[in-house]
Amino acid sequence: MAPLKGLERNYPLIDSNFQKFCATHGIFTLEDFLVHDIYLLAALAERDYASDKLKQGITQILTILDCQSRPCINGLELLKDAENNKCVLSTGCERIDALLQGGLRGGHVTEIVGPSSSGKTQFCLQAASNVARQYSGRVMYFDSGNSFSPKRIAQFLHSSDRPSTKASEVSKKIMSNILHHSIFDIFTLLDMLHQLVTNLKTQVDYQVRILIIDSLSSLIAPVLGGGGVHGHGLMVSAGFLLKELAHEHNLSILVTNHMVAGEAGMSKPALGESWKNIPHVRLMLSRRHGTNVSSISLLKHTYLESRIQFSFIQLCLVAQDLEAHHKRSIVADM
Amino acid sequence: MEISTLPISASQRGKLISAGYTSLSSLSSLSPSSLAQDLKISETEALQILKVASQRNGLNKFENGSRAIVNGAQTAWDMLHEEESSIRITTSCSDLDEILGGGISPKEVTEIGGVPGIGKTQLAIQLAVNVQIPADYGGLGGKAIYIDTEGSFMVERALQIAEACAQDMLEYNSLLRKDFKPCQVNKEPKEFLDNIFYFRVCTYTEQIAVINYLEKFIFEHKDVGKVDYLEVKVIIIDSITFHFRQDFEDMALRTRLLGGMALKLMKLAKKFNLAVVLLNQVTTKFMDGSFQLTLALGDSWAHASTNRIILYWNGNERYAYIDKSPSLRSASASYTVTGKGIRNSASNCKRVKLM
Repeated sequence: MAPLKGLERNYPLIDSNFQKFCATHGIFTLEDFLVHDIYLLAALAERDYASDKLKQGITQILTILDCQSRPCINGLELLKDAENNKCVLSTGCERIDALLQGGLRGGHVTEIVGPSSSGKTQFCLQAASNVARQYSGRVMYFDSGNSFSPKRIAQFLHSSDRPSTKASEVSKKIMSNILHHSIFDIFTLLDMLHQLVTNLKTQVDYQVRILIIDSLSSLIAPVLGGGGVHGHGLMVSAGFLLKELAHEHNLSILVTNHMVAGEAGMSKPALGESWKNIPHVRLMLSRRHGTNVSSISLLKHTYLESRIQFSFIQLCLVAQDLEAHHKRSIVADM
Repeated sequence: MEISTLPISASQRGKLISAGYTSLSSLSSLSPSSLAQDLKISETEALQILKVASQRNGLNKFENGSRAIVNGAQTAWDMLHEEESSIRITTSCSDLDEILGGGISPKEVTEIGGVPGIGKTQLAIQLAVNVQIPADYGGLGGKAIYIDTEGSFMVERALQIAEACAQDMLEYNSLLRKDFKPCQVNKEPKEFLDNIFYFRVCTYTEQIAVINYLEKFIFEHKDVGKVDYLEVKVIIIDSITFHFRQDFEDMALRTRLLGGMALKLMKLAKKFNLAVVLLNQVTTKFMDGSFQLTLALGDSWAHASTNRIILYWNGNERYAYIDKSPSLRSASASYTVTGKGIRNSASNCKRVKLM
């Protein structure tokens, strides 16, 4: 059948004779091989007339299976990896950095949840501009709602630098490190993530610092539910792919999620229970109606105490009059 | 299981998995005829499945010499220049234009909602006319697609607004372009109507079907090399709520359909560089201890658009308030609906209120 047949091309030991032998014992795929008793199979192979070849075939399959498993790693190596490779990226706002004890950590998938117009996109844009400015390496921005605003990024960059003639050159260099991609369905997202994984493995000098997906929930919402579990499967595979990306390539990943109505009139994050455990860090934003004050709280963290909350003022200024208006990015205020 | 991440139909996926094909590598060196035999499907279907799988496989292979980490990505610097040179659709009311940063911007989905009678359809008709203002007068010079779900589009009103717009252009021509060569483009009001494509939909399935069809439609009406040929530059849907609001039993289905529709519209806006304007109705919501006016269709839909504008009454005046935008400041401005269309309001205490 399919998998064992497919291996024949690359591994000539797994010829039709071997496949027939396996088929008589109900083994058609590699997974079936894992379930069976190997010793029993070897003993049965002994009794067969072409026993040597069959035993070689079994050894070959076992080697293939070994290559597919992950290498073992101990706690000390993990600690060294965490200290040397997984650096912390500042978000550009001191208080939020303090809340996260440093900022967005490499190897973590951070999720921002909030109702409409609470500041999620602004947070993403500010994080993007700050990471591009302070650290070397690229910023990948996957945008599903055409809400990436290069004008706003330029505003964030100019607010912290003194206006000078070199400013535009510096801006150009910084903004050329922010790569934007528009994604409009979940399958394209999975394709892009696979492509990123392959390219990062093979191009070692190309460093991506942070991947921002705004917003992940609008990509997943059209496939989630409807009686089937396929949508959940796609969501969870996307989540695992993100975690693999983050861990293997020391990226920090930032995704946004929206809120839906929960019980007793309270809102809860969208995407359900299956998604809840996938991000490492969950931050919740909420905005007081009619003002531009938002508050942020930590819903979940792998090693910090959660439910800390504080408010910050979100100022959005139109960059029409650069000299007249005094621009400030997201500043924190207790 | 990698097969589940391929964009194929559920029945094809079921057949593949039950036949034992769970990974991409199992499909890599297979011929269409053997796959068709195995799954008991037609050869064309098998070819289609293999094409999709090889596309994903192709992405997994490293291409020598390709420096782009992800194909098709654009840097923020390039986007900034593109954005600076893009022209917005004016609303004919300078206060509104000011808070919108010049007008409705292309490549974005703008949602406009308001109580009945506030002037949503009037604004929509004004935009359908204004998008056709030629480039010489600072407009986009494009066609409009108007998808009407409520039946509130009045042709006579559109003609009236078009006449006013043509007259304004003539005045502009005579007053401000005296020293330059006079603009030869003098639009007849009826020409404005010629460039509005009108679709009337009566059920939600028709609405979704029309949106699916739009990509093909716009592509067919793209620049065919003729001089003065206009492309579609705005899609107006008046209103997206109407067929989804009443008698929809399955709320989860509604959320999925709306989410899918929003993504398709975003894709159209980005791909063809046009503006999408969605009109919505309002509802009240109990928030922070009081009843607030919000746009209909729920919380999930709230994230579907790029910009959200709420139209409301303040005393006797009509106001527009920017509720959500990635680059515009929260502000409100007043406007009026006159015989000529949307214009500045003539009140004394008129002032752009910033948050």
